[in-house]
Amino acid sequence: MAKSRGTDGSLLSSLPWTLAAGGFALAPHVVFLPVWITVAFAACAAWRYGIEKRRRSLPSGWLRAFLALVGFLGVLGTYSTISGVGPGSALLAIMAALKLLETRRRRDQFVLLFIAIFLIMSSLLREQYIWSLPYLVVGVLLTMTAWLRLSASAVEAPRQSLATSSRLVMYAAPIAIAMWIFFPRIATPFWAVPIDTSRGTSGLSETMSPGDISSLSLSDEVAFRVTFEEVIPAPRERYWRGLVLTLFNGRTWTSNDPFMGPRAHEQVAAIGNPVRYQITLEPTQQIWVFALDMPWSWTLSRTFMGPQQQLARGQPIDQRVAYEAVSYTDYRTEVDLRNYARDWYVSLPDGTNPRAVTLAREMRAAVTSDRAYIEAVLAKFHEEEYFYTLEPPALGSNPVDRFLFDTKQGFCEHYASAFAVLMRAADIPARVVLGYQGGEINPMGGHLIVRQSDAHAWNEVWLPSRGWFRVDPTAAVAPERIDSGIRGAMFDGTGAAWGLAAPSALLHRLTLTWDVINAKWNEWILGYGPDNQNRFMKWLGMDDPDWRKMMLTLVATVAVLTVIISLLLMWRYRPPPKDRAAVLYQRFVNKTGVLPTTGETPIAFARRAGSRSALPVDTIEFVTTSYLDARYGPGDADAMRRLESAVAAL
Amino acid sequence: MSSIPWPSRKFKALIPWLTATAKRRVRHWARNRQGDDQPVTELRPGRVYILPTGVGLVFALMAFAMLLGSMNYNNNLSFVLTFMLVGIGLVAMHQCQRNLVGLELRYAGTEPVFAGQSAQFRIAITNNSRNRRNGIRLYTDTTMSEIQDLYPGESRLFVLPVATDRRGLITLRRFGIRTLFPFELFRSWAWLHMDLWGIVYPHPAEQAPEPPPTQTSHGHRQHDARGEEDFAGLRKFHTGDSPRHVAWKAYARSGQLLSKQFAGADTSSQWFDFDAVPADDVEERLSILTRWVTDADRTFEDFGLRVPGAAYPPSHGDTHRRQCLEALALFGLKDPHGKVTRH
Repeated sequence: MAKSRGTDGSLLSSLPWTLAAGGFALAPHVVFLPVWITVAFAACAAWRYGIEKRRRSLPSGWLRAFLALVGFLGVLGTYSTISGVGPGSALLAIMAALKLLETRRRRDQFVLLFIAIFLIMSSLLREQYIWSLPYLVVGVLLTMTAWLRLSASAVEAPRQSLATSSRLVMYAAPIAIAMWIFFPRIATPFWAVPIDTSRGTSGLSETMSPGDISSLSLSDEVAFRVTFEEVIPAPRERYWRGLVLTLFNGRTWTSNDPFMGPRAHEQVAAIGNPVRYQITLEPTQQIWVFALDMPWSWTLSRTFMGPQQQLARGQPIDQRVAYEAVSYTDYRTEVDLRNYARDWYVSLPDGTNPRAVTLAREMRAAVTSDRAYIEAVLAKFHEEEYFYTLEPPALGSNPVDRFLFDTKQGFCEHYASAFAVLMRAADIPARVVLGYQGGEINPMGGHLIVRQSDAHAWNEVWLPSRGWFRVDPTAAVAPERIDSGIRGAMFDGTGAAWGLAAPSALLHRLTLTWDVINAKWNEWILGYGPDNQNRFMKWLGMDDPDWRKMMLTLVATVAVLTVIISLLLMWRYRPPPKDRAAVLYQRFVNKTGVLPTTGETPIAFARRAGSRSALPVDTIEFVTTSYLDARYGPGDADAMRRLESAVAAL
Repeated sequence: MSSIPWPSRKFKALIPWLTATAKRRVRHWARNRQGDDQPVTELRPGRVYILPTGVGLVFALMAFAMLLGSMNYNNNLSFVLTFMLVGIGLVAMHQCQRNLVGLELRYAGTEPVFAGQSAQFRIAITNNSRNRRNGIRLYTDTTMSEIQDLYPGESRLFVLPVATDRRGLITLRRFGIRTLFPFELFRSWAWLHMDLWGIVYPHPAEQAPEPPPTQTSHGHRQHDARGEEDFAGLRKFHTGDSPRHVAWKAYARSGQLLSKQFAGADTSSQWFDFDAVPADDVEERLSILTRWVTDADRTFEDFGLRVPGAAYPPSHGDTHRRQCLEALALFGLKDPHGKVTRH
């Protein structure tokens, strides 16, 4: 069947465009896909192009079936599943590559272009940066140009196709924008399919084992951005509460605890003035929702307050979310702690960190009150030779003992862990809170940027009649960490000791500008969800927006736009301008009162009109010859003047 | 109410039957509302129909799937992509229809053919607009023309080949013009009902008996026949004159193409007589006559044709040949100008 597999070069006008569209659609996937898939696609594309160029035959059906099997098993072997964006795009790429090898007719390329569109779509599910918008526009343009070339004649210049598809995409843009604005957004998804969004998201660790990892990453990645409605709280008050760890096994703090119940919110009593703000949280793949300590209300759907006043969502945050929240930086919580809870918060595993336990009991015995004891511990951290460092030595077993008595170097986790152990050993309920502290104010956007490097751990201690209150032992060691952020801690002179150079001012400024653009992009484009849409509809003047009204507006707007486009097309296809001579001649024809018949030449008309019209025969002949000379003759300028004066004289 | 014929035998035949019926009804409806078309017809928007193609339906399905995906992930950029495709679909629909509207179709005649060849119905299409028209094609149920693009102001000839299998008049009651431009998502078309007809000559017999011998009349001149004996003078060359009679010497002298005229005792001519053809069947006779006429025409012989009811005295040239062949083509047909439908 070699004949049916032969090629004749007829695809040469469209194949390069199809390949370009496919390659462009695949490009953003390359970093996520195993290398062999990219190589396979590129190889098949080159192979197919070579076949067409040299009029060779396509590979046999057996070979294609074999390659298809290998490709499918390869994807299955790499991912061990075929659902999800990663394996899905891998399969699409393999399908496109194999489809190329059996593309014989022009129309077969439709399948490839459909695959290209799906590849673009899946890359958008994965990442939505600012450049993703121009990327998708160019992708659509390339795909539609290739599409156009499938049915265009083989001699049509590529530039012509590109111009036509650009024009059509340009016409489509207003319709797309109107639909995008008015299409009702819904809050909850129908079903959840995992998207392997990130090249490794750096969220907070959900457990804390100080001493296990010996350095903290200083990732500049944005954790979330905050826009305050009024004043931005002082750095000392910017504790962004995340999750709470209550169980210690001697090495590791975890959040496993037996407490249940939705009443945690009721345990909070607010004091002072509320702080209102909006947070745009980057995806973390975790359930924790961050808010200024102590959150009072929040607008994020399916989000609840856990028993230790931590906010958690019913599903992992796998895409950027925006929510408004109200917090009180001054509050009382759980003034009455039940006995079983009290026992839980003072429990320590037997026989671990014995030196710390002994130290705690001695120090507690030396003072009269719990409050004085807390002060004493903080003073110990402050006055003795404890250092704040991001690269502390590893601690081995009984890490708290080693840290307190031997190494005396650590970052927030070390101090929080040691502090909690010292409290619990002295029978004072204590726990560890993980979250972020501080954040950088972007003077251009007016918002606060909280980065992964702002991650922080602190303690909460319970005292009778006071309830839980925040104690940050790191502040006792490195107050600048709290006052000016981790950057300040590093760069106000001490940073040089760690071998880090302060970033240049200009670069920093550019970074901040870029951050403003990103923040706006996130807020207005990516964050255009039900809430933002509702607000925007109200701003447009729609009262009480609901999906019916929005759909109605959508349909009406699209209908109007379609009519405009239709008129535009009609205008584009309008008849060419009649030249001056034809206009004058037409005026003459109307004056004769004789109707010209279809296809009648001016001379034939003149002959017929001569016998029927009221105009004198001489005039008719004169006008006719002048017209013919003006339009077709060599001395047209002169004849034109004659025609003009003759018609004017009528 | 006429009873609807129910395809009881095979249920499978139901779908084709339904589509065929629907097609027939729709065409009938279009025919009634449009009426007959003039030989020169401009396509008004009201008669240009449009429907999505298979590719268009798949495209719509894909857009719908992408919409569901975008809603599920609340992904605003894939919303952009989805709505862009929807917008392109809408624009393509209007562009597709506009691509036909305003075209001017002009019947440009049909070349006569012999039965078995395909009749070439010629339609000139003019693009009276400032924009290019892409991918235009004429079609009937059985054949279609080449696809052509029309530049602004351009006029192009489209040829619809229609197969013939017997002599007579062939008419084309309906043909269509269509385009898939720009993306093959939509097919837009118009039906035209012009009075198109062509003549189909009988098929020239492959094995014809020898034509009757040339008659030579002595002594007197026959009307309008030029003998070959005595040179009588020169006259202007007419198409169809034998090159043997061209006065080449005179041409070399004067540069004017002249034919020699002979007036003499001997004038040879051939008469092809329907009744004298050695065959029984009428069609066979016509076929043989057609062969004789075409052969004689090729050798520039003078010939005459006699069929019952008409006689064409010996002559030569294109007009004579055409008259004779037309007589053979339409011989015995009761109503040569009635529409013998075949399309």
